[in-house]
Amino acid sequence: MSTMNKRTSLEIFKSVVLALFLREVQTRFGTKKLGYFWAVFDAMFMVLIFAGLKSAVASNSMPGVDFPVYLATSFLAFYLWKKIVSQSIHAFSANKALFAYKQVKPFDTIVTRVLLEILVSSAATLIFVAIGLYIGLDISVKNFNMVMLAVFWLCIFGFGIGLMNAVFAYFYEFYAKLINIVMTPLLFVSAIMYPIDSLPPFIREILLYNPLVHFMEMIHGYYFHSLNTYYVDYEYMIYWTLIPLWIGLFFYKRSEKRILSS
Amino acid sequence: MIELHNVTKYYKTANEKKYILNNVSIVIPSDVNVGILGRNGAGKSTLLRMLGGIDFPNSGIISSPNSFSWPMGLAGGFQGSMSGRQNVKFVCRIYGKSDYEIEQAIEAVREFAEIGDYFDMPIKTYSSGMKSRLSFGLSLVFDFDYLIIDETLSVGDKNFQEKSKKALRKKIENCNVLLVSHSMPVLKELCDVGIVVHKGQIHYCDDIEDAIATYNKINK
Repeated sequence: MSTMNKRTSLEIFKSVVLALFLREVQTRFGTKKLGYFWAVFDAMFMVLIFAGLKSAVASNSMPGVDFPVYLATSFLAFYLWKKIVSQSIHAFSANKALFAYKQVKPFDTIVTRVLLEILVSSAATLIFVAIGLYIGLDISVKNFNMVMLAVFWLCIFGFGIGLMNAVFAYFYEFYAKLINIVMTPLLFVSAIMYPIDSLPPFIREILLYNPLVHFMEMIHGYYFHSLNTYYVDYEYMIYWTLIPLWIGLFFYKRSEKRILSS
Repeated sequence: MIELHNVTKYYKTANEKKYILNNVSIVIPSDVNVGILGRNGAGKSTLLRMLGGIDFPNSGIISSPNSFSWPMGLAGGFQGSMSGRQNVKFVCRIYGKSDYEIEQAIEAVREFAEIGDYFDMPIKTYSSGMKSRLSFGLSLVFDFDYLIIDETLSVGDKNFQEKSKKALRKKIENCNVLLVSHSMPVLKELCDVGIVVHKGQIHYCDDIEDAIATYNKINK
């Protein structure tokens, strides 16, 4: 009989994710010392640019909302989602060498990258909060729990899309390029720099097909006292969360062995 | 003990299926060291990968109550951007070792591998000899029932080869080895039984000498 300790699959999963997590932290932040800097810089840069632009061209169109705070919530949430999706897509190939150990499953690498992005984003959020308090912006939250629910939901949404993309992109290089093309304009059509209510109805109708708009509106509606969640369609968000997740899990399960042995 | 039950494994090439194993059923008994022979491309490494649980037969079942190491080969199983030390830590962690055990393992591997400062350099800067030193040293830290070794004993300089063989002889007092090698003296020295992988079949021989003879016949 085996002289090695028998462990349950949950125990193995936990130790693998921990090991992968520490490895990702080391490669992301260890070798390039600027890793920590970029984690915050992305979102910060965007907030400064658009807050500056806005104050240059228009007066405050959202009474009761500090526009930089609006932008900060948008970009932090958007980058969290975007990084989860873009990091997941290459998770398999980046960790390929480690599949030599049978404990390490491709699925674990996605879970690890999602957890890492959540951690990085949380750290960036804390820094934003500190800056907001320091320069005296109104960062009070209308309904903290609902904001957290929206962000958590956004992570699950990103995980589902990320897993699905990772599986398809592993076998079809073209798919990864396609996703890149789709991701680029999202910044401008996801209710990040404006509330959806401020748009002309026919544009609004179209943009509401973008699931990210609903997540952004949900976050904004529960964060700011003077905004609401009138346009948020929870059912639509559930579809966009569950369907990619199901497709991702289904095709992952079918192709796990092929990914491991290729 | 290792049991292969109706195992079929093939790769698809452009025109046909190339069979590595074609409906193979054998039982490898417990407590023997197994030498694996076969020509290049016969499927020795694939067989080792399947035993190590990182490749899978197209049909059939491979079963064993025992624990297997990862296949130690030239390819490594190391993440190039991480240092030797970080890779050792990583492997210890996935096997659920405690922090104290990890510290001990790092010391043991560092001492065995004798790669000096390179221990803290990224693996991608290593030569293939250094990689196998690290890989082999690392495997000695764990108590597997079977060590899966793919050719690694033949790399490295004379001095290290001797050292590895000595360490391996000591290690296989408590475990067994599945060894792919093209060096007949090494096989004769370390293995009790042999299997020859040839044209989709496995020939099991009770004596490593017979296996070598079979292999030589194939090569004629």
